[in-house]
Amino acid sequence: MKGRKVKIWAAGVVGILAGGVGLVGTPVHAATKTTITYYTFSAAPDHTKALNAMVAAFEKKNPTIHVVVQNGAYGDYFTKLKTRIVGNLAPDTFELNFENFVPYALSGTLLDLNSQSKKDKTFKKSAYYGKAYNVFAMKGKQYGLPASFSTVVLFYNKDLFKSAGVALPNSSWDWSDEIAASAALKAKLPEGSYADFQPVQFFEFYKTLAAAGGKFFNADKTKVLFNKAPGIAALNNLINRVKDGYMPNKAQLGTVGEIGLFTTGKLAMIHTGIWNFDGFKDLPFGWDIAVEPGSVSPSNHFFSNAVVASAKTKHPEAAWKWARFMTSDPAAVKIRIAASWEIPAVSDKKALAGYLNNPLPANRPAVFEALKYPTVPPVIRQQQQMQDAVSAWLEKALNGSVSVTEALNSAASDVNALLEKE
Amino acid sequence: MLSPIKWIGLGNFRELLHDASFHQALFHTPLFIIGYLPFVYIAGLSAALALERRFRGSSALRTIYFLPVITSWIVVALLWKWILNPENGLVNSILASIGIDGPGWWTSKSWAMISVIIPSIWKDLGYTMLILLAGLQAIPPEYKEAAAIDGASRRQILYKITLPLLSPASFFVIVTGLISSFQVFDQVYVMTEGGPEGSTSVIVQQIVKNSFDYGRMGYASAMSMILFVVIMVITGIQILLQKRWVNYE
Amino acid sequence: MNRQSLRSKIVVSIFGLAMLFPFIWMVSSSLKVGAEAFATPPTLIPKHPTLENYRRVFEIIDLPRLFLNSLIISIIIVTLQLTTASLAGYAFARLHFRGKNAIFVVYLATMMIPFQVILVPMFIEMRQLGLIDSYLGLILPTCTSAFAVFLMRQVMLGIPRELEEAAILDGASHFRLFRSIALPLCVPTLATLGILGFMGTWNAFLWPLVMIYSPEKMTLPLGLALLSGEHSSSNDWPMIMAGTTLSIIPIVIVYLLFQRKIAQSFLTAGLKG
Repeated sequence: MKGRKVKIWAAGVVGILAGGVGLVGTPVHAATKTTITYYTFSAAPDHTKALNAMVAAFEKKNPTIHVVVQNGAYGDYFTKLKTRIVGNLAPDTFELNFENFVPYALSGTLLDLNSQSKKDKTFKKSAYYGKAYNVFAMKGKQYGLPASFSTVVLFYNKDLFKSAGVALPNSSWDWSDEIAASAALKAKLPEGSYADFQPVQFFEFYKTLAAAGGKFFNADKTKVLFNKAPGIAALNNLINRVKDGYMPNKAQLGTVGEIGLFTTGKLAMIHTGIWNFDGFKDLPFGWDIAVEPGSVSPSNHFFSNAVVASAKTKHPEAAWKWARFMTSDPAAVKIRIAASWEIPAVSDKKALAGYLNNPLPANRPAVFEALKYPTVPPVIRQQQQMQDAVSAWLEKALNGSVSVTEALNSAASDVNALLEKE
Repeated sequence: MLSPIKWIGLGNFRELLHDASFHQALFHTPLFIIGYLPFVYIAGLSAALALERRFRGSSALRTIYFLPVITSWIVVALLWKWILNPENGLVNSILASIGIDGPGWWTSKSWAMISVIIPSIWKDLGYTMLILLAGLQAIPPEYKEAAAIDGASRRQILYKITLPLLSPASFFVIVTGLISSFQVFDQVYVMTEGGPEGSTSVIVQQIVKNSFDYGRMGYASAMSMILFVVIMVITGIQILLQKRWVNYE
Repeated sequence: MNRQSLRSKIVVSIFGLAMLFPFIWMVSSSLKVGAEAFATPPTLIPKHPTLENYRRVFEIIDLPRLFLNSLIISIIIVTLQLTTASLAGYAFARLHFRGKNAIFVVYLATMMIPFQVILVPMFIEMRQLGLIDSYLGLILPTCTSAFAVFLMRQVMLGIPRELEEAAILDGASHFRLFRSIALPLCVPTLATLGILGFMGTWNAFLWPLVMIYSPEKMTLPLGLALLSGEHSSSNDWPMIMAGTTLSIIPIVIVYLLFQRKIAQSFLTAGLKG
């Protein structure tokens, strides 16, 4: 009995092996068609259809090129990407966000796209939103074409403001307006609801630092400057709002999180990214956006994702065509806007008008207003180390384990030590 | 990771001597083990002993005890972070109703490690139970029957017959449990990400951070070598000590 | 005696409920949308149950394909692991050869290095073998399990030698002893390893993540990861719960199939057979 079972098993295994259900690597396609790979983190889970539509449009226009899309989850994207690069199996084209871009550019992993754009007679870099195009250049080499950009704005729940009788936020608010409104809201909101939320972390810190008139680095990036008066003001502004009970603390955020609190009508204001527009479109209450309040000078986030190509790709021309199409071809731009997939990084006002036509939020122009004063993330080669070091000290300051000044001085000496090794 | 490899001799190990976050992690990992391993073993053993004999519902209960093992840590962490939420969680609400001010659990530096340990015991006890159940089946019933006829009490049978005969399986559970809890990572990552303020950071988290986030493969490998030596020494001691308590045949 | 066992039954049943709770919560969350999904305390029985989350999971990932891939790989790996573990376990428990203990320690040592550290070297090795993006590359490094070998050795060491003596006097070969005496006695352990091995391969993430490129070859955990977005604060938890619920069904089935074998008291079965 037992013996027979084993034999059946063995036969099954051999059968599956021989059947070739993908047990052995895929054979290389015949040379009639060029196949390139595109590895991306921003499509899944919500925009895979839009990306597939872009690929279909591209392949129709370029029948000799086949694009294989490989979706990855953001949380594991860089683990896999680094392994592939180390293993000499980098994807032909892939996606990088600006804050992770520098280490790749510096290590010679990326193709200088100028080598291709020179040969492409119809290419004009003016087709791109200037700032987004330029941040992906380094020492005269263009390493990426910006596909999209995004920013962070102040979202607010109109119903909560109205029921508390507090005037709605507008784009000319500064920090004191936000605090005054928070105090008024706090007095009226029920237990378990909160006036405001802005995370206390690296990304909020460098942005509010700039809003307070501060600089992160000195001019030649050898020392940090964030532990001066503007930095202290910026961090105090973030932390005091938690201390005063205007913003929920970690326990109050719990597993619901800030987005959960906002979507369930328990948060009046939230500083978060415009990538939430699509997710918020069916909320059962009225909401809108305003440019984030500033202090000394306006400062808003500028995030951008780019399509880059591997320096070792065997098909640089096809990679270039795909990168260019995906980022700026009118067909791709149209698909991106229709899907509310961030904002295409193009300069064409007419194309972008489509973005403004979407009904929600009503104050969409605030997005472009915010982008007039873009603050890009401070980047170094040891990016993650820097972010972790700063975040660790911000957390200690938030918990009251160290003073704000002490936290910033310690963070400064940690980052200065990293800068010495750059 | 992206930059070319350079020979630096013992440089990585020298740097480890001064790396405060590594020392912190090196200290937290045994803390986790002390809070976790004895309890998961005792809980798993109790469940195995209680569910060893068949009764109505025993196989359903065995399945139920195993369910947390197969439920992913992401889900388990979400739930336990709510149960242990200091503001509105289940445990502190119950404590509040009897007039006790509950602790800060995963938001407090001194309670965070306990908040990682409790769900870990809860999740893994079904796994320990499964292995010990298989071990219990290996004990010939004749031994226990003979002892019962000789007038031995249940307690005597448990300590004189069952536990000694179960010792190979127990040895296995403890050795592999130690090896895997020195490499604890998943639950820490999803429950606290090593925080607050690094109070739950563990060795493998430092290794992962350095190798993948910081691209410092060599440094991470040096950490792993230290981890390896520690585990090896402790396992070696266990193998030497097993003659004193593990009963083969 | 009976009172005591009744007491223990009551205790295990009460704890059983506590063990079951998260599972029920997961299934119930997967049936919720909107504000109810975020309610604190959570409602255990959804007021407006919906399959919308499940529909979205099927829309975003090619679930049947992922299931089939994971199933094929898991079955092959578990079969190989059980085969190699029982043979190696017998060798370590019963054979005498030079360096046996040293080899056993090397086996154990492989468990002592975090997988994250050997990921890159192993990846490069697989590339040199031309096995990237292939199932063979997923299977080869995991077809033996030191953990399983160790457990089989422990259990086989516990088998009374008297059981084998008669067969040895009859001049039975080691392979005969293995097949007709040791192996039948190890059925509960094999079943345990079957469950654990299946669970391990079914949930394996890091190795398939770096090895598999082609979408059509992806395993289930790789697909499930795609349900989380770039901004984790905006994650759709109920949908992720739906995906997780679906993914653990096969493990429950395997557990139910194998656990009957664990319950079988094998020594008596062995003595009678």
